[in-house]
Amino acid sequence: MSILIVQHSPPYGNSNAKEALDIALAAGTFEQEVHILFMGDACYQLAENQNPHMLGQKSIPKMLTALPIYGIEEVLIDRASLDERSINTLCKDVKVKVLSSDEVKAAYRNAKTVLRF
Amino acid sequence: MSISVLILTPPYSSQGSYSAYRFVKAAVASGQAVRRVFFYQDAVHAATKLACPPQDEFDLYTAWQQLKHDADLDLVVCIAAAARRGLINESESKRHNKSGANMASDFEISGLGQLVEACALSDRIITFGA
Repeated sequence: MSILIVQHSPPYGNSNAKEALDIALAAGTFEQEVHILFMGDACYQLAENQNPHMLGQKSIPKMLTALPIYGIEEVLIDRASLDERSINTLCKDVKVKVLSSDEVKAAYRNAKTVLRF
Repeated sequence: MSISVLILTPPYSSQGSYSAYRFVKAAVASGQAVRRVFFYQDAVHAATKLACPPQDEFDLYTAWQQLKHDADLDLVVCIAAAARRGLINESESKRHNKSGANMASDFEISGLGQLVEACALSDRIITFGA
C-alpha cells in the first residue's frame, strides 16, 4: 500500500520537481509509505553544486535533505538515466539508492499508486 | 472498485482537462464510483468562475460544475497550487487581504492531504497530464 512518485523533470524550468516533492512530503506527513524515483532529466535534481538563486529559485537538493523528517530515508535513482547523462557524482546531502532497470520495474510493480511528474 | 482522478493540465490550452472531464463523465454514466477529482498544478485554473469562452466553443468550466451537480462529485482544488497561481475563494481572499475572489463555489479548496487520502482509499488513481 505505497505511493511511488516518479520524478521525470529537471529541477528548474518548470514546477514539476517542486510540486511532485510537495506530494511526497504530504504523504509522509500522513504517515503513508512513499518512495521517490528519479528518472531521465530528473537526475539533475540531485546534481552537485547547483546555484538556483541565480534563477530566483529555491534549491531542490536542499528541500530533499528534509525528507528524513517526513519518514523518507532515501530516494531512488535510475542507473541507466545517470549513465546516459554521464552523471558520476551526486549531491552528498541526500541519501540515494541507485536502481538497476529490474529494480526500477520492481519499484513500479510494488507500488499501489504511481504518480509521474 | 472506486477510482479517483488527478488532473495536472490546464483547461483550454491543453487537452488533458477536457479528456479528464469526458473520462469522469463516462465513468459516472457507467455506474463507476468516482471518489474524488483532484486539481493540481495548472489544472487548478479549471476552477475559475471568471472564464468567458466564446459561445461556439465548449465551456469546460461550466461543464465541470454541471457534472458535479449531476453526479454529486467531490471536486477538490489544491490550495497551495491555486494560491500560487492567483486562484482564491472568498475566505482565502480575506485571509490574504486581496481585493477579490475568483474560484467557483462548486470546487472545494483543500490541501494535498486530500490527494494522499484519495490514493489510500481508491483502488485506482487515473492521472491526466504530465
